[in-house]
Amino acid sequence: MSLSKLLFLVLIVSANLFAYPNYSHSLKVKKIYPMGEKIFKKRCSQVDVAAYSSYDALLSAIQKSTKCGSLKTAYQEALALYLWDHKSVKKRETNYPSLDVDHKEKCPICGMFLYKYPRWVAMIEYKDGKKYYFDGLKDMFKYYFLHPKGIENFFSRDYYTQETIPLKSAYLVLGSNVYGPMGNELIPFKDKKSAEQFLFDHKGRSIIRFKDVTKATVHKLDE
Amino acid sequence: MSKINFYLLEYAFSYIVRHKSKNIFIVTVFTLLVALLSSLFFVTSSVTHDLKERIAYKSDIFIQNYKAGMPAAINTKLLDRLLEIEGVTGGKVEVKGDYYFRAKDSNFYLYGVDAFEDQEDPLIAKLLQKYDLDDSEMLVSDNVQKIMSQAYYKEYFNFIKPDGSLQKVNIKDSFDVGERVELKNLVLLSKDTLRKIFGYRADEGSDITLSVANKNELEFISSKIRLMLPNAKVISKDELEQSYEKLFDYDNGVFLSLFIIAIFTFFIIIYDKANGLSSEEKREIGILKAIGWCVEDVLHAKFYEAALLSFFSFTLGFMIAFVYVFVLKAPLLGAIFTHENMLNIHDFTLGVHIDFSYILLIFLLSVPVYIAATLIPSWRVATLDADEVMR
Repeated sequence: MSLSKLLFLVLIVSANLFAYPNYSHSLKVKKIYPMGEKIFKKRCSQVDVAAYSSYDALLSAIQKSTKCGSLKTAYQEALALYLWDHKSVKKRETNYPSLDVDHKEKCPICGMFLYKYPRWVAMIEYKDGKKYYFDGLKDMFKYYFLHPKGIENFFSRDYYTQETIPLKSAYLVLGSNVYGPMGNELIPFKDKKSAEQFLFDHKGRSIIRFKDVTKATVHKLDE
Repeated sequence: MSKINFYLLEYAFSYIVRHKSKNIFIVTVFTLLVALLSSLFFVTSSVTHDLKERIAYKSDIFIQNYKAGMPAAINTKLLDRLLEIEGVTGGKVEVKGDYYFRAKDSNFYLYGVDAFEDQEDPLIAKLLQKYDLDDSEMLVSDNVQKIMSQAYYKEYFNFIKPDGSLQKVNIKDSFDVGERVELKNLVLLSKDTLRKIFGYRADEGSDITLSVANKNELEFISSKIRLMLPNAKVISKDELEQSYEKLFDYDNGVFLSLFIIAIFTFFIIIYDKANGLSSEEKREIGILKAIGWCVEDVLHAKFYEAALLSFFSFTLGFMIAFVYVFVLKAPLLGAIFTHENMLNIHDFTLGVHIDFSYILLIFLLSVPVYIAATLIPSWRVATLDADEVMR
């Protein structure tokens, strides 16, 4: 093997050593970020991400620094990934309102108590601060078509993760075999990939966006 | 009927005292019956409460690898594949198992922890908040510490690895498990150290647990995993709950047969009583009528008599059961539920958790029935003429 080839190989290996690792998004969200966040809060809250220009720099700084104590390699990587991915895009805090309802809250359309079906709660927030809660997107849309003015935002829970999501950017699955408290439902998802998986798993008919929902779509669900 | 007639009450009481031997017999049978039934209900409601609490601390889906019909090590890489499933919101590889300490003939429950992972169990989570464990340290429960110190291990403990060599781990501190008796032999140590003790490779664990945010999806996701891993055992929280319920619900065979026998015994006694009064009792009613009591007064007195007897016996039986189950911890009877069984559950605290609907059931099955059984024959006699009765 010639010297130049060897040099090339060393170059590739060393480049790969610090390169941004190639994990899938769901793996990062479900495993690496929570761990990184815990390490950050427990051990390394003094690390300032803004000071580093690249992921490599951040990782090597974490490896060299003694502030965090001795961390295993997996922990170092988790910490670096968490910090790096949450610095560039300011998504460490997205404060959506909580959809936890109290025992008195009823759906304005069907009159059912909402606390019994916490997974299906949807909410319309009006500009004057009023909030109306519904037991499913279907009833929310019915209300929306009756009172379409002065609306600030729509919220519901992602079916899989149960976190609050704004519905304007959500993907809604129609015609699946999963029923809400009011029967057929539009089922909301934060990203397209999970909506497609749900469509496949639960025999859904189509995926639509918020702006495509019409009166006809909603009323058809009741047939 | 609005006020209690104390003269009649006094009469009823003196009647009970006059027929001492007969009434003592009734009180004894009644009390024993109530005590038996309520202690059964106490044990079941307390045990199911305990189990529900234990299930609540369990993860949503539990996956174990099987080899030759035995639980085997599972590869940690598998977790990454499982996390790709939509609907799974988190998961971890667990390293845990029993360690048999031959010198003291006891089993320790070794649980590997990672300070930066979520813990479902509040006890463990709290301990990890308090202590920072490094690889050479462990936390032991008070019971384990006692056992270890009996074997003169005060500062550290030598675990014997599968290859026969020793793994020395320092005892950092001991903790109290409180009500959680199922964890009384718990030892917490780092996953890497535990892998060495159990002879797992670095990429192996004993099982994988997953959490699922939407419980509607639990069954679907577990069936998906079953397809993915045909050899593995996949248990969802729902199934666990079902199997526990099957074992401990009140339609449980042992319980039901005892219940039926007890109730039948009671009804036989009631039937015997309702079937007729002794001639002495008949004469007494006759005399009362002859000195001017009306039917209503007689029934009133009889009602007081039956109510006094049955309330007294019910309360006594209830208290006996309470003491037997919650103070003495149900010797003999408790073994029906806590003995070796398919779920491998042995230890229970039997905390005070009473399901009052069952107590109401026992009350309604005994007290009104007994009162009715006293009133009906007396009424039959009391409506007759006094001379006819005394003849």
